[in-house]
Amino acid sequence: MTEHAKNLSRRNAIKAVGASVATAAVVAVATDKSQAKSDRKVHYAMVIDTRRCTGCHACTVACKAEFDVPLAANRSWVEYVEKGNYPNVSRNFLPRLCNQCSKPQCVDVCPTGATYKRSEDGIVVVDADICIGCKYCVQACPYDMRFINPRTGTAEKCDFCIHRVKQGLVPSCVNTCQGRARIFGDMLDPESEVSKLIANFPVTVLRQEMGTEPNVYYIDADHTGEQDGERMGQYVRVDNFRPDKERR
Amino acid sequence: MFELNWGLPVIGYLFLAGAGAGALTVSSSVLLRGGGGGFGGDHFRVAKYGALAAPVMMAVGTSLIIFELGSFKAALDHGNFWWMFKWINLFLTINLSPMSIGSWALMVAILASAAYAYTFIPKDAHSDDHRKDLRRKLAWAGVPLGIAVGIYTGVMLGAMPSRPLWNSPVLAALFLVSAISTGVATIMLLKAIFEGSHNGDTQANQSNYLLSASDLLLIGLELVAVFLFMMFAKLTIGAPAEALKILFPGGQMANLFWIGFIVVGLLLPVVIEMKYVLPTLLNHRPYAIPMGMEILAASLVLIGGFVLRYVIVVAGQITHPIGL
Repeated sequence: MTEHAKNLSRRNAIKAVGASVATAAVVAVATDKSQAKSDRKVHYAMVIDTRRCTGCHACTVACKAEFDVPLAANRSWVEYVEKGNYPNVSRNFLPRLCNQCSKPQCVDVCPTGATYKRSEDGIVVVDADICIGCKYCVQACPYDMRFINPRTGTAEKCDFCIHRVKQGLVPSCVNTCQGRARIFGDMLDPESEVSKLIANFPVTVLRQEMGTEPNVYYIDADHTGEQDGERMGQYVRVDNFRPDKERR
Repeated sequence: MFELNWGLPVIGYLFLAGAGAGALTVSSSVLLRGGGGGFGGDHFRVAKYGALAAPVMMAVGTSLIIFELGSFKAALDHGNFWWMFKWINLFLTINLSPMSIGSWALMVAILASAAYAYTFIPKDAHSDDHRKDLRRKLAWAGVPLGIAVGIYTGVMLGAMPSRPLWNSPVLAALFLVSAISTGVATIMLLKAIFEGSHNGDTQANQSNYLLSASDLLLIGLELVAVFLFMMFAKLTIGAPAEALKILFPGGQMANLFWIGFIVVGLLLPVVIEMKYVLPTLLNHRPYAIPMGMEILAASLVLIGGFVLRYVIVVAGQITHPIGL
């Protein structure tokens, strides 16, 4: 069919549906709306309120179950930060997951383009069909979030449960968190819970000095590391419950 | 427990590809210097050994890193034939990742150096034979390609703030100088093994002098690069200075670094080469070096080059940023 004929037949079809200008206008508005909804960008972020975390590891387990994460690897975990000399002691919990950075170093170094940041929602993902397992991203992540899955030989990490989020659900770790310490949402929506928490509380991100602009925000996080103990004159122990892996 | 994501295959690759790229650059420059004045004719055999070694070393090194790829390991574990060739994905795209640019540079360098080596293969190859035009053109490509391969590994390691020991612009310079130095040592070693020391042959001695003297200069530059590397890490304070402690007395890699690299790989060859180069340089005596000494000096430089890669690659992975 030529372009001209196509236009004619489309015009006829519209005429057949209803010639009134009003109907056409309503249809046009409706299409605009649905268009706007699917194109609307979101910027997913997580707020972790460490005051509500009890260190129960339910998020770690939910994540392992959700993705069948191989033994000795984690996409998300909880660290215990113990410090102080008796009787002034404390234990704080620090849940960890991929920060879905706005300036992800892992994306910058990927030689095949297998890992990229989705422009529509800001999630950093790995395409296992392209990834060759060179481990450059594993080296480059300042948060040690990536590992090579021995089954596929490709890099893996937390992706905010993209398969759940697409369906309108929250990530599995958020869903399971019994203290509601993990809160997930859209930072571009000023009415979302994450937007309000970030606005209302002093929040920090991990390793801000790396310039990665993380999108996981912590309320009341203890950033103490074991190397700080000597300077503070205090006992400090950090346990990340990860076999074979130091906190990095 | 520490995790070594990049182990011996990568270390071996960094060493072999570095030395191969260095040999390519040295061979090409030696050949080109003779463009007008017969210099290339005199030192044709220097260029020949470098040209023949370069593609072999780079190709062997490159095959080594394939063993470090997660996709290749998974292919062997699960019997998936196609995953063995998943690294082809590197060449379906190009981006600003140092590894992407480096892979392309490496591929072009291997192909060009193989073609360059081809021009030296006939037994009667000499500086004025029928392949000389092709040889000269490939040598022009060989100089920048060798430098590109020699320098990109340092850029690749240096690109990550998450690895404070590596995250230094001086690392690329250090790797480049070390690559060229091990390239010269490779040529020295091959020449000594296949030709002996030619004590009576003035021309061969001239070539040997060229090699030893330039190696001496390169080791000097390498000492400067190491000094700058350590000084800047130390003075940056914070994570780099903290990571650098691993190379200083009391650190896990200190012995290997100071004895294996600085003493065995740099200072000893300097002493040996100085003993034979200085009389020629200062007093214009004819140059003569026993074959054994030449082999020893070249081997020490090569050992030093390997130890440097080993120490840097391992130390960079067992140190980490401070704070969280």
